Amino acid sequence: MAQPKEIKNQYKKRTLFQETWRRLVKNRGAMLGLGFLVLLILAAALSPVLFNYEVDVIGQNMQERLMAPCGAHWFGTDEYGRDLFARVIYGARYSLIIGVGSVLLGLVVGTILGSQAGFHGGVTDSIIMRGIDIFYSIPNIMTAVVIVSLLGPSTVNLMIALAFSCASSFARIVRASVMTIRDQEYVESSYAMGLPTWKIIVKHILPNCLSPIIVQITLLIGTTIISASSLSFLGIGVPAPAPEWGALLSAGRGHIRDASYMCIIPGLAIMFTVLALNLLGDGLRDALDPKLKK
Amino acid sequence: MAEEFVLDIKNLAVHYETEDADVHAVNGIDIVIGKKRTLGLVGETGAGKTTTALSILNLVPNPPGVIKSGEIYLEGKDVLKMTPTELEKMRGNDVAMIFQDPMTALNPVMTVGDQIGESIAIHQNLSKKDAFEKAKEMLKMVGIAESRAYDYPHQFSGGMKQRVVIAIALACSPQLLIADEPTTALDVTIQAQVLELMKQLIREKEMSMLLITHDLGVVAEVCEDVAVMYAGRIVEKGTADDVFNHMRHPYTEGLFDSLPNLKERGEELVPIKGLMPDPSDLPPGCAFAPRCPYATEACSQAVPELTAVDGSKTHFVACSAYRNPEFSLRGNKDGR
Repeated sequence: MAQPKEIKNQYKKRTLFQETWRRLVKNRGAMLGLGFLVLLILAAALSPVLFNYEVDVIGQNMQERLMAPCGAHWFGTDEYGRDLFARVIYGARYSLIIGVGSVLLGLVVGTILGSQAGFHGGVTDSIIMRGIDIFYSIPNIMTAVVIVSLLGPSTVNLMIALAFSCASSFARIVRASVMTIRDQEYVESSYAMGLPTWKIIVKHILPNCLSPIIVQITLLIGTTIISASSLSFLGIGVPAPAPEWGALLSAGRGHIRDASYMCIIPGLAIMFTVLALNLLGDGLRDALDPKLKK
Repeated sequence: MAEEFVLDIKNLAVHYETEDADVHAVNGIDIVIGKKRTLGLVGETGAGKTTTALSILNLVPNPPGVIKSGEIYLEGKDVLKMTPTELEKMRGNDVAMIFQDPMTALNPVMTVGDQIGESIAIHQNLSKKDAFEKAKEMLKMVGIAESRAYDYPHQFSGGMKQRVVIAIALACSPQLLIADEPTTALDVTIQAQVLELMKQLIREKEMSMLLITHDLGVVAEVCEDVAVMYAGRIVEKGTADDVFNHMRHPYTEGLFDSLPNLKERGEELVPIKGLMPDPSDLPPGCAFAPRCPYATEACSQAVPELTAVDGSKTHFVACSAYRNPEFSLRGNKDGR
């Protein structure tokens, strides 16, 4: 009876994660994006070790103001003589924390709302979704401006403000997926097995909605970083002198003729980060779609 | 008497009320299943078989489904009067259901072992790990290697998936197993294997079964009792011998005539003429009358009651033609 053992060895077992990863690795764009993000996250995590916040990031040095990029200051200096390289790298912390934080906050709220709306349908669905439609009809930035001005400018309040628009996107996506999965036979069969409703939602329905959610997370982090920068650019985001990328752009605006690098460099930082997130998101969408299996 | 039955359905009526129409899916049926008995519920698509099965678990989708009347006693308790908590306790533990299509009846993102273990963990209060161990035993019982408990449904073939579904259904040793066309989605050889497995397990675990099918061959192989359903009503019921060898209802005869005859392969099939009536607009009287070759005017006046076939305790038929003592189906001229 050695047979079962041999059979076991015939199978190459892959979990969903391994399977997705295997397909993601083949996608050059996604790997490029992922590589850039890993570098950025490392840089952001190590920035307190690399730079002294008080001296390098916000410490002013009037003798070295408005220096173009050179050996000592790779990205040049700003109008107060602060090293732009240190500020851009440090700024990654803000962008990443705000991006990830508000998306996660929005994910939790949006998933709860969306799954309730999609699962119960009827009146529950109408109330939740019409409420979200109202939020959707107001421009994101407007909502965020109102919330930030109500709560006062700070990093946490900015996250809360941006989480609102994330929550409404997630609610729509989750609702749509839940509505298709709700009627699957395995859901009916879990009722027939006597599982309580909440368990069916959490264990059977939501895990099957995961791929659109994962894709949406990566794409939304990019959008949120842009929104956060826009708010800082407008002066209602992260308060000065913190080196948020949008704030850096805003500071460079006055010197766009004589020291254009002050705008170009933080602008490029935002652009590459969002591009990397979008490349990764697109790659994930392809990797998670079983219909594209080769 | 009542205690001997695992399932006792009395005068069940289920309608689907949509905006356009009121669909009469099940119209007052009575079914009993005794301990360790297997009942085959036969009928064509849309006859109300699946609705009946879902009613037993009180799972008729509402809206639009409404259980209009009836009582469903499961070991003495009325399912339709249970609280949600009681229902959750009953489902899976006392009654389990096997669904038609094994391809969609398993959650694609959970391992097979977890899915079998899930209901065990809930109904027997076991830890996840113990439940998984039991799940492995169940897999072995349905003839799948224990090592495959860690695999996902897409790694199994159709027949194996149906075995897994059976393992899930039997995990808590329910009193009653409802199998809703369990072999329709499988090819014939696998069908035979799965039926054989179900027969054997039911015998081992001393369960009762309600087998829903439109395949008379499957009924003949597995069931002791048979009920023939047409347009939401039971038109004939009895033991397999009663219904197969001494059929009384014209519809039952029609069903058998439309099967190919193995002995005389050249013979043409005799289909039942016409279509099943629209369940939102049933004809008055016997629903089969418009298609029935024996129909008289009397047939479309009153719905015939299920009455015992002369002298039999098990065999019932709902056909008004038998008011005339001379009447017999053409197929069995000896009058049986």
